Amino acid sequence: MDTPPFLRMSGVRKRYGGVTALAGADFGAEAGSVHAVLGPNGSGKSTLLKVLTGVVRPDAGEVLLEDRRLRPRGPRDTLAAGVSAVYQELSLIEDFSVLDNLVLGVEPTRFGLRDRRAARERALPWLERFAPAFGGRVPAEERVGDLDPGERQVAEICKALVRDPRVLVLDEATASLRRAQVRVLFDVVAELRERGVLILFITHRLAEIRAVCDFATIMRNGRDVTTVAVDETAEGELVELMSGGPAPAAAHPGGAAAGAAETPGSGAAVEAAAPGAAASARSALDGADRADQAHETAPLLEVEELTGDRLDHVSLQVRPGEVLGLGGLQGQGQSELLATLFGARRRLGGSVRLFGRAIRPRSPKQAVREGIAYVPGNRGLQGLALGRPILENFALPSVGRRATLGVALSKRREAAAARAVAERIGTRYGSLDDPVSTLSGGNQQKIVVGKWFPTEPAVVLMDDPAKGIDVGAKAEMFAVVAELAASGAAVVLGSSDDRELVEVCDRVLVLFEGRIVDEVAGDRLTEDTLIASAMHVTDANGAGRPVPEPGEGGPTPQAGADGDADPDGPPRDPGATGRSAGADDSNAARGAESPAGRAEPGPARRAQASTDNGGAA
Amino acid sequence: MSTPAPTRSPAASPAPTPPGPVAQAAQSVMSARMPTLAVTALLVITLAASIVLQPDFFSAYSLSASFATILPVATIAAAQTIIVLGGGIDLSIGTIVTLASAVSVVLMDGDNSRLPLALAAGLATGAACGLVNGLVVAGLRLQPIVATFATSSVFGGLALLVLPQPGGTASPVLTQGFGMVLAIYIPVPAVLLLALWLAWRLLRRHRFGQYLYAVGGNADAAYTSAVPVSAVRVFSYVAGGTVAALAGIALLADSGAGDPTLGTELTLGSIAALVIGGTRLRGGSGGVGGALVGAIVLSLIQGLVFFAGVPTDAREFVYGCIIIVAIALAGLLTSRNGTRRTAAARGKAGTA
Repeated sequence: MDTPPFLRMSGVRKRYGGVTALAGADFGAEAGSVHAVLGPNGSGKSTLLKVLTGVVRPDAGEVLLEDRRLRPRGPRDTLAAGVSAVYQELSLIEDFSVLDNLVLGVEPTRFGLRDRRAARERALPWLERFAPAFGGRVPAEERVGDLDPGERQVAEICKALVRDPRVLVLDEATASLRRAQVRVLFDVVAELRERGVLILFITHRLAEIRAVCDFATIMRNGRDVTTVAVDETAEGELVELMSGGPAPAAAHPGGAAAGAAETPGSGAAVEAAAPGAAASARSALDGADRADQAHETAPLLEVEELTGDRLDHVSLQVRPGEVLGLGGLQGQGQSELLATLFGARRRLGGSVRLFGRAIRPRSPKQAVREGIAYVPGNRGLQGLALGRPILENFALPSVGRRATLGVALSKRREAAAARAVAERIGTRYGSLDDPVSTLSGGNQQKIVVGKWFPTEPAVVLMDDPAKGIDVGAKAEMFAVVAELAASGAAVVLGSSDDRELVEVCDRVLVLFEGRIVDEVAGDRLTEDTLIASAMHVTDANGAGRPVPEPGEGGPTPQAGADGDADPDGPPRDPGATGRSAGADDSNAARGAESPAGRAEPGPARRAQASTDNGGAA
Repeated sequence: MSTPAPTRSPAASPAPTPPGPVAQAAQSVMSARMPTLAVTALLVITLAASIVLQPDFFSAYSLSASFATILPVATIAAAQTIIVLGGGIDLSIGTIVTLASAVSVVLMDGDNSRLPLALAAGLATGAACGLVNGLVVAGLRLQPIVATFATSSVFGGLALLVLPQPGGTASPVLTQGFGMVLAIYIPVPAVLLLALWLAWRLLRRHRFGQYLYAVGGNADAAYTSAVPVSAVRVFSYVAGGTVAALAGIALLADSGAGDPTLGTELTLGSIAALVIGGTRLRGGSGGVGGALVGAIVLSLIQGLVFFAGVPTDAREFVYGCIIIVAIALAGLLTSRNGTRRTAAARGKAGTA
């Protein structure tokens, strides 16, 4: 290609605090094409396109559109340059009519006043074009707040189109659309391509990429890996590009985490969750014992056919001491599932049984009373009262239990309870009266989890608790999780970080659009499998593919030796097993020996479990 | 008003709309018109009570007096509404009113020839105060409630420096003009009230009027839609300050003298009026029209307490109780679809 591409982004970097979202990504695309941007969670694809649309200002790098440098100070500038985006988090004003939303920011005016007729003339053709997606009507005067989520998304798409873009960015624009709506969108996309518009497309549905895209750029770890022509590339190859290949030396949490996590007093617990050799060494000591316990006892939490908004007949079981992961792409119902179990979202159907007894919490308070704890993803917003003393934060979930006659609190008793927990999870603090905000991120995170100890939860639900925290803090927090599991709790961990799932979980359920589409355990539990599974590609089997991960070879010798000595496959040790499987195909044989309890529980086993759980309760 | 009926229905649309058109129309009436219904009901109730308790309520003198007291209250409520719609709040609005009227009255000094200068200076004072608030809130990104609480002291202190105690003399033309009754039943303040409403309708039709609602409704969405969010915020405070200065001049015209101590009472009254008028305190929903009616309701209630023969010492107490009932009533009438709306919003936030 001699002529410079229509759109070129080069050397784009962006850091959010300690997290690198973009590490020098390059990107080029031609006018009149549909170009997909693909990558696993956190690969930086959304950030890259937000840099293009001016919502995110990059730390370094430049954007050239038709050889003219774009230096947006905000979406106003990029819109003026002809870049229009459909955002995942919609940019609609709920109280406005659809028409008013469509022309918001570009209202035609006459004598300085808004010209409604001109606005209709401009926006109505698009609404009429998308009428089939609105169930055949043209909802120009309807309030956006009264539309259903799919229709809002269509309205958002119309809004982007009203701006007559030269570059149209569709960021997961099809995620909440029904099939008919997607069809209309794709027709329009094809028309726009004919008219020389560049369409950038982020989606989690590979089939859609095959259907409309000409090219695909694969992103990984904040960098572009390669750009391929879609019709010359097989689906499996795309997935492979996303997960495997010679990964650019990504910082593996292994060493750093284990180092940072060495806390006197809770050393054993830390090692359990810390990835690497230490973990597997320890699990040899008490893992076998725990494994027996885990697959002989009845499930502690059983969920059957749970349905709700964005949840589609979800069934799962968790045994005491087990850490169950919820994987898949972001926003496939993981958060909704956890929130529904915690009583924070309405359940439309299905049953939840705890200790074999049906429960139906209607509020988080009731869920806590049933023995369910919830660790939210955003510790500042939901998990901690940052300005309040450490003592109060520890005490909050369990405060009612210690109050005399339900009201009187003894400061001494509160302090004793808090100190006991702090010691157990190894929190370092100056004084219990200091505000939580004085603690390090890792110690704050420990309190988010540790404050549930006094309530002795049977089930701990965690919604991406480690999102955006550094590896050291992450390891410390998962040590506390391991401690909770060791005390017999069932842990359900939703996470957008596949590596974290591999390291921490015994079993991972992969969700796709509110359904459980795969269960990954034992030797299949590798990052590759999870990514392939998340893209909902059934034929690609990550574990079977010999894609060595250079950064993960380190601990394998010991892990392998360990595994041979302990054919039962200790359930606390999924990270080590998974990794050794990825690095060494001979381990596949060992996988076959692992007991049924660790592999996917078949329907028969499930039925049996639900019949004999009465004894466990 | 221009609400054109849906013109063209799309040809060849197989799927019928799930809810019938009647149900849809009813739903849209329920959701959009409810606040207006509530405040209209309150207006009818208070009017009826006033007519019963004040037999000469519709006499020219009584009407003129009523509108003269209503206008300043309504104007302050309008000023506050503009700011609240844009997602802010202005606790300094009362002291802007007193500062603007203090500046005006000192410059007038009972002289007709200095009236234009004094009016211009008063308005400029209001606009400047609004600009300060706007820059502090949008530029320094301080919490509006705290920032304007602080500027409230600043403006109040300035008012005391300009006019140390109640007094001064307004221009005779101003006070006489304000007290006039045009035709038979149309006092000048009523005309001004109408003018205020028309000015609001004009702003509503303007792009900035629309941006006000957009920023108050969802600032992030407005930002990504290329709405100049900071400029709109500053604009809302400047417009509010200017309108507040108008209220100060109206007060001056009504009483003939300045009073630098009114401050907070006016602020809280303005917030009560806009809430009764159906404006959402979080911003983005409501309107000046409702606030004007809300202010009328408040004034009528005040008059009612007086004419009902409530002992002087108990008036404040009774007045307060009635306001609580009025706000609760307005809230009850609007709450049902309000909760539904927030529930839907929460559902969306969870899935995003």
